[in-house]
Amino acid sequence: MTSRTHFRLALVASAALLAAPALGAQSNLSTQGFGYSTGQFSSRAQGTDGAVAEMDPLSPVNPATISVLSSRILFFQLEPEYRSVTTAGGTDRTTTARYPNVFGAMPIAPNFVVGFGASTLLDRTATTIFNTTQLLSSGDSVPMSTTFRVDGAMDDLRLAAGWAPTKWLRLGLGAHEIVGHNLIALTESFADTETYKPFTQTRVLGFNGPALSGGLQLVSKWVSAAASMRQGGVLHMDASDTVLSAARVPNRYGGSIAFTGLPNSFFAVRTSHDDWSAMNGLGSNQVVGVDSWDTSVGADVAGPQIGEHIVSLRAGFRDRTLPFEAAGQKVKETSFSGGLGTGFAGGRVLADAALIHANRSAPTVGATEHAWTISIGISVQP
Amino acid sequence: MRKQVVKLLAALAAVMSIAACSEKLEAGKSCPLLCPIQSDSLRDTTIDAIAVDTSVTGLPPIGLETYLMLASHGDTLDSRAMIRFDTIPQSYSKAAFDSVITTIDTALLVTPIAKPDSLHLPKAPVTIEVYDVDTVGTDTSAAILTSLFRPDRLIGSKTFAPDSLVRDTLFIPINADTVLDRVKNGTRLRVGMRMRSNPGYDLRIGTTQIGLPVTLHIVASKDTAAVPVDVSPLSDTPADEPFLSGPLADFTIVASGQTSVSPTLLSVGGVPSRRTFIHFDVPSRFVDSTTIVRASLLLTQTPNRRIDQHDSVYLYPLAILASPVVTDIPNALQFLSITGQYGLDSLLISPADSGVKEFQVAGLMRTWKGQTLEVSPRSIAITSAVEGSRPVQFDFFSTRAPVGLRPRLRITYVPQTSYGVP
Repeated sequence: MTSRTHFRLALVASAALLAAPALGAQSNLSTQGFGYSTGQFSSRAQGTDGAVAEMDPLSPVNPATISVLSSRILFFQLEPEYRSVTTAGGTDRTTTARYPNVFGAMPIAPNFVVGFGASTLLDRTATTIFNTTQLLSSGDSVPMSTTFRVDGAMDDLRLAAGWAPTKWLRLGLGAHEIVGHNLIALTESFADTETYKPFTQTRVLGFNGPALSGGLQLVSKWVSAAASMRQGGVLHMDASDTVLSAARVPNRYGGSIAFTGLPNSFFAVRTSHDDWSAMNGLGSNQVVGVDSWDTSVGADVAGPQIGEHIVSLRAGFRDRTLPFEAAGQKVKETSFSGGLGTGFAGGRVLADAALIHANRSAPTVGATEHAWTISIGISVQP
Repeated sequence: MRKQVVKLLAALAAVMSIAACSEKLEAGKSCPLLCPIQSDSLRDTTIDAIAVDTSVTGLPPIGLETYLMLASHGDTLDSRAMIRFDTIPQSYSKAAFDSVITTIDTALLVTPIAKPDSLHLPKAPVTIEVYDVDTVGTDTSAAILTSLFRPDRLIGSKTFAPDSLVRDTLFIPINADTVLDRVKNGTRLRVGMRMRSNPGYDLRIGTTQIGLPVTLHIVASKDTAAVPVDVSPLSDTPADEPFLSGPLADFTIVASGQTSVSPTLLSVGGVPSRRTFIHFDVPSRFVDSTTIVRASLLLTQTPNRRIDQHDSVYLYPLAILASPVVTDIPNALQFLSITGQYGLDSLLISPADSGVKEFQVAGLMRTWKGQTLEVSPRSIAITSAVEGSRPVQFDFFSTRAPVGLRPRLRITYVPQTSYGVP
């Protein structure tokens, strides 16, 4: 099989995956405010619950890491989430199919790599259906069913450059544009169809705002350390060419340290801080962004060799606070993950898979949320 | 290498199957606790949004009735059905050859009717008389035509038992000599039908407007090989004005019992038939800046107990399609949408009802959004499903009535909101 064949196969697979339906439903803890932060992790990093994200070139976190790429690469990632939310009213179950990361990079000079990619910053995809009885001033009342559907996300487009001036130092810069849309569809229908006419209103909310990021990575035989940050600019929300509000792209900084003393293995710990409160004012007063820490520990170790393939085994634990409050309370998320990865076609095709189980809760809100997420990433070196 | 490709494809297939799996939607159990949005509250208001309201008598125009109203209610109402056969063939066909009509064995008026249901049968036998009503006078004048219903012009009569009316066609014999005279002389035959009934009764007779007119059936020979001649109604007058003469092939006149319109009332149906015109002046803050989910035209009905007071009849609100360039309301009331268009729903009521009646016009009001009056006139007509063919009349208080009885418009709407912004 030629490299061109691999490339075509990857393109076909990517197109097929993009055509898969995105389903989502329910009111929940995780997609409050402008949505759920997927973390901008690759499938490999997801396998460690994010612990290696600062050192992973396929995770659009630290631009310095792409300098390690020695050839052109395309990467695509799929992450369906199976979620259940339990309240006193019962349990809702739903699926949200996400495509949180697509990325390409190529070396343009020795030890100098540029990359361009898009990743999901906040995913708001959800559909909520609920019934109410509307009381009218005339004394009438009418049962009404509301379907509130949101499709879309706030995405992070990044143009990054990574440079490795020495074997032990990697540096990187990224120019970001936060873009994306939320397609809102509000449908209201009535039990009395003769008197009341149903209607659907649609609206598209658009987002745009710049950001810059920088990072470095220090590499030695036994220990590797990395740090990165993102400085956000003004973030606008618009509808029909009218700017509705403005806030700032949240700043972020984080660091990670890993033990790399065993061949092809990482034992890492990472923490990151996001200033989600910078987005306050972009939405209504009820949307409260929470400055939060996101901490994880994990391992990516060389596992058994099956045939010609060395299988990487991964596991991790993560603890974080989600970006937006639910019912006035911070939402905590803890998760465990496991994953594996291997290469095909002489290492030109890399496949990673991870399984993450997350528990989400808010202290005094009578709701809990559990989610299983499958993350599958495929990278191709054409 | 082939093994690697197979593995890769298998992995991709697994991925795609996961991505494509469908899910049952079970949402809302966490509401209102975690709902990202609660439904927009409906608002409603009742406003005096009627700028012009009036009733116009004589609609549908003469000859455009869907059924002819043959009514006999004593002094209350007497209406007659007129059918014109201005062209009658002078030959008939027999064994593939045409023969001149020299004799007439039988002449019948084949009369389609709206078959009455068991609740609307006459209480006693009814008689339908047929008169020769040809005249050189004004041939649509009710007064002149009524004067022609006299014994010397009687050319046919038949009495029907109540149960015998449960059919869709009546056969009324008329004088064969009279018909033969018109055939031989090549002149027209114009007949008028009158009903005699005690107690009162009314019958609906088919017209050319709906393709079910009264026809003249002539049997010119007893020979079974002779093909009977069936003559459809046709009017030659007014001459050279087919737009006017066409509808006059069959029409109704009211011999007695016409009512006038009270200025404080809006009337629908009745004798002569009338339609109500209503022009709205709805503030643009409702039309253009909200989503209307209910718009009810509230009309206060006052009982009309004149005829068939307990018969339920559909009233239709219909959009007026004539642009404001047509300032003449009677003309505007003839350019109407079809029944049910724009989501305008009918209302089933009886003349003796009273109180507030609601006509739902939200579907029409939504079409006004962002449109000019020229594109989307803000007027409606209210018509009766049996206008011109049954005497039932519905009366509602107009804007000239006391304040509490005037027409109003109740609007239920969703205000323009910043929905979607979390």
